[in-house]
Formats: sequence, C-alpha cells, structure tokens
Amino acid sequence: MRLSEMAVSVRGLGKSFGRASVLEEISFDVAEGEALVLLGASGSGKTTVLRIIAGLEDPDTGKVILHGRDVTELPARERGVGVIFQDYALFPKMTVEQNIGYGLRLRRRPRQEIGKAVEGLLALVKLEEHRRKYPSQLSGGQRQRVAIARALAYQPEALLFDEPFGALDAQTRIHLRREIRSLLKEVNAPAIFITHDQEEALELGDRIAVLNAGRIEQVGAPEEVYNQPRTEYVASFLGAANLLLGVVNRGRIEIGSAAVSACEETRQLRDGQSVKLVFRPEDVLLRRDGALSENSRRLAWGTIEEVRFAGGYERLTVRLNLASPGAEDEPALSIASGRLPEKSIGVPVIATRSKLEAASLPLKAGDRVVVGLTALRALPNFTLATERASRTVEMSA
Amino acid sequence: MSSIRHVRGFDVARPLSVVTLLAIMLPLILLPISSIFLFGMRGGLDDFWKALSAPEAVFALKLSLVTSFWATVFNVLFGVFAAYALSRYRFRGRTALIVIISLPTSIPTAVAGFALLLLWGPYGTLGRLLAPHGEQIMFTAGAIILANIFVTFPLAFGVIKPVLDTMSRSLEEASATMGATRRQTFWHVTLPGLRGAIVSGALLTFARAIGEFGSTILVSGNLAARTQTAPLYIFAKFNEGDVVAANAIAIVLALFSFAIFSVLFFARDWLEAE
Repeated sequence: MRLSEMAVSVRGLGKSFGRASVLEEISFDVAEGEALVLLGASGSGKTTVLRIIAGLEDPDTGKVILHGRDVTELPARERGVGVIFQDYALFPKMTVEQNIGYGLRLRRRPRQEIGKAVEGLLALVKLEEHRRKYPSQLSGGQRQRVAIARALAYQPEALLFDEPFGALDAQTRIHLRREIRSLLKEVNAPAIFITHDQEEALELGDRIAVLNAGRIEQVGAPEEVYNQPRTEYVASFLGAANLLLGVVNRGRIEIGSAAVSACEETRQLRDGQSVKLVFRPEDVLLRRDGALSENSRRLAWGTIEEVRFAGGYERLTVRLNLASPGAEDEPALSIASGRLPEKSIGVPVIATRSKLEAASLPLKAGDRVVVGLTALRALPNFTLATERASRTVEMSA
Repeated sequence: MSSIRHVRGFDVARPLSVVTLLAIMLPLILLPISSIFLFGMRGGLDDFWKALSAPEAVFALKLSLVTSFWATVFNVLFGVFAAYALSRYRFRGRTALIVIISLPTSIPTAVAGFALLLLWGPYGTLGRLLAPHGEQIMFTAGAIILANIFVTFPLAFGVIKPVLDTMSRSLEEASATMGATRRQTFWHVTLPGLRGAIVSGALLTFARAIGEFGSTILVSGNLAARTQTAPLYIFAKFNEGDVVAANAIAIVLALFSFAIFSVLFFARDWLEAE
C-alpha cells in the first residue's frame, strides 16, 4: 500500500529524555477507517507516541505523515487531529454545545454551519437533551461522548484516544467500548487507541501493536497477536501464557524428561537450540487415564496442586513431573514410597477449563493427570541462562 | 453541609466547640468591632450622618476608593501575568521570583512607605530624575497607589497561581489540538478557568488596600482634602479628639469590609459552580 493511502503513517520515531531512551524505531500505519491499538505497560512509551502524533511532543528522529502530508514540523494546531484525553479535557466553563462547536468557531465557520454541525454531532452521540449542561453535570460516559463529538466536529485527520476508559468503572467501560467501536465504524474515522488493558485491545482494535520498552514487539490482527505471539513479552502481556524452557530435538521439544512433538513449530529451528515453549492455559488438556484425544499432544504427567473457581471457568495449577526419566509413568511407585518428589522439583503450569469440561471430569488437588497441549508456540530463547527454568505469567486475573 | 456522624446520640462536642469559638472571638474580634459601632452611634444618627457628610470625610473615602481601585487593577493584571509565566515556564531564578513576589507580605507597611520615599522622594534615586522637570510623585494620589500596589502585591498572585498550577494541562493541549493559537487558548480556556480566582484576588486586594495605613501615611503627605485617605482621616480625627468623626468613617470601612468578604464567600460558590 502506498503511503498516501494511509491515514496515519509513523516512520522510525525515536525519542529520549535526557539519557533515557523512551522510543526506538517506532513505525506503523493506520488505514482509513481502521482502529489500531497501541498496547503496552506503563512506561512502554505508548503515550509518548500518541503525543508525538498529536504534535504535543517533538520526536528526536522519524516522521509523522497524515494522509500523505508530512506534519512532523507542524505545531499541534495545524495538524487537525482529534485527541480524546484520558480526563477528556472538556472545557469546564463551556456548555456541551460550546465544547463541541469550539473547533469550528476557531476555524471561523459561519454561525449557521456551526449550529448545524453541532446539531448533527449531538444526535450522533445521543446527547441532545444535555446540550446546555456543563461538563461537571455529566456522567463519565457522557463526558467521553462530548470529547469524541468535539473532536469529530472539525473532521479530524485521525482520532487519538489516550487510555479512554481509565477513569471509568468496569461496567461502563465494557458498555462504552462497544459504543465507541460502532461509532467509529459509523463515521469511518481512523483511530489510534492507547491502552494497557489487553481485553480492551482485543475488542477495540482492528490491529494491535504491542509496545515494550519503547519498541514495537509485534503488530497484527487480534487473533494473530494472541494465537501467534512472536515474543515472550507479547505472549505473556496479551492474555495468560505458560512458559517452559526446552531444547529442540528432531521435531520434538524436550523439557527435562518430558517431550512434546512440535514438527511444525520447530521447522525454523535447529536441533539442540534452546527454546521457550509457550502455551495458553485454555490450550492445556487434562486427562486422568493418559488417553489424550487426537488433536492434542502429550506433554507430561502432573499433579493437580490447586483448583480455583474463576467465574465463567475453572483455573487449575498443575505441577508437571519432569523428574528422573521413567518416574512419570509409574505413579504407583512414588505414592507407595510415601513421597511426592514432583511437589518440590516439578514445574507449575496453569490450565483453565470450561464448566462443561470441569463437570465431565471433576478434578481435585492431589489428582494425577496427564497433561496435553492443543496448541503451542516455540520461541527461540535469547535470554540468559540465569533466568529461571520456567515461569508462568498471569495477566488476566 | 453534613456534620460529623461517628458519635451515637447527643454529641457534646458540637455545642462546646461552637461556644468556645465564640468565646475566643468575642474579646479579640467581635467586641472591638462592636465598640466602633457603639461609640460611632452614641451621638445618634444625626451626628453620625453629619460626621460622614463632612467634605473632608467624603473626600477621604473617595480617595481611598479610587486609589485602591487602581492598585487592584494593576495587581490583578500583574498577578495573572506573573502566575501564568511562573507556572507555565521553567527558567533560572524562577523560585527566587516567586519568593520575591511574596516578600511584601511580611515587610512592615511603614518600611514599604519609607522605601518608596527613598526611591521616589525629591532626593531619591529616581525622584531626582523627575525633580528637574517639576514632576513629583510622592505626596500625590499617585504615591498612594504606588504604596497600595506594593503592600497588596502578593495577594492576587497568591490566589491565582495555585489555580493555574492545578489546572489540567490537557485543557490547554486539547485547545491546541483543536486548532487554537496560544492566544486563543489563553482567552477561551485558561482565562475563564481563572474567573473565580481573579474575582477573589481582586476583592482581597481591594479590601486590603482600602484599609492601608502604614505606608500611605508616609508617602501621601497626609494633607486633608488633598492626599488624605479614609484610614488617615480616622487617625487625624482621633488625634484631634474628634472620636465621633473618626468612628463614623470607621463604621463605613467596617461595613465595607463586611460586604466585600460576604461577596467573596458567596461569589466563590457561585463562580465555581458549573
């Protein structure tokens, strides 16, 4: 796609404050009518990217291109982007109408035209009966709608949302998310969202860019980023992920005494290479008798350590038995000898099961199960050997 | 208004604290003020009115109003400007400037008047430059305004700056992204947000200026019907033994101050509303 067809193009943005580098080589595009989510933890630099696009901050290197026009050197007021600030930044001494019409009044549009445009926007965001109210008289959701209408009034090059739901409670949040999503489709405006909330990112974005320490780790459609994370960070930040350290050996990944076949996943890797085996809790299959279904791959024996009710699903901690070879197939032996070696030396993984699964095979702490995987990823391991052999990162609580 | 509610049944602390409050305020504030009214009215309303309508008294009140007004205008404009510059920009010596602006608060007002004399008097550093042209600032209404400005300098600034400091930066940024120049942002967004602080600052400055005595007595020359403000008139009449005349003006000033602070109290709620 040519640059000029893109609503927003960011090329090689770099920024440092003093000696600390905040952004490095940030590049991405947003197509007309597309919603891109910049997802990252606090301090990942996502807000700085937004401020640079809006013209509120200067980049050290790189370019910002809006609809084919290089605006890197232009001040904020000449860029024509609409920013929806985290606190909405509604002008407290102006009514809803005046707030929405502000951008047009600055552009010296005739009064009639402004009145008509404001009328249309009030209808769009369903605030007709609140037109004469002041921002302090509105609810959080209503304020946000004013902020969006105010930005839409002057037909912005793009809409930039800075943590738009940060100040709202969980209920309103979900409701507004859907509302904004359909509103954006209606006006077909390109949008960039900033958030640290993975659920929000999955729901709002046509595409997601995961930011970590000032770099983009992966850009892609929500399914792609979730199902095929390219880095450990992406895997663990977007959703929950289990990570196990292993070694590639002839189409298999060996983790201690256990091994899982992964011909497809290890095709790009050579034998003997250290890898991280990444799999999601919902991709873990548990069976009591060792008979796994066709579509799953056997990983190892394990012991249920904890079973927790988590609302719509059940969450289990399973300690894998990766001890001396052979022991895993002879559960009777360790029980007979009166000790449970895997308790202390095994590796815990998290599994989740639907209500249906949980009902068909009830499990409790202490049960021995065979652990299978329905999906997995193998990522080359570049981290130092000092890192712990495995770890579980739980982002969704 | 809701009172604290963590005690069951009758709470002794409430009547007790109100009574204590009044008991402390009575000898310190309430009785002195009421004695002004008692003494001022001793001769009846006729005497009070006669004292008030004496030409010199009328002049003194007018002079006080006019000089306080101009000092207020200047200090509010300056206060907005200084607060904006000092809260929006970071530069060397910024903290020093903030401290210096606040200095007049603790400088004795007589010292302020004295300092102005040293600078602007016929033999003062700047006064010497004016003297050959037959110009003279000291011992005129101009001198009273200068003294009032000096003494009330930190008041408006002190009210406006905290409001600017806490005003969300995103308001001004939002205005800029919507297409406003810096000037448009200031007029449409920043200034309206300061409305309450400006009114409060102006009233405080005016109230303080109208009662100013120490500095004006030094720089004005204290000439009856020419450079005598209301507080100076009171002092002069008191010295002459004309307590009724002194009290009449004192009552006016007291009522005036009462009015200003009532407005301040109610206007703030009204201005902050919305």
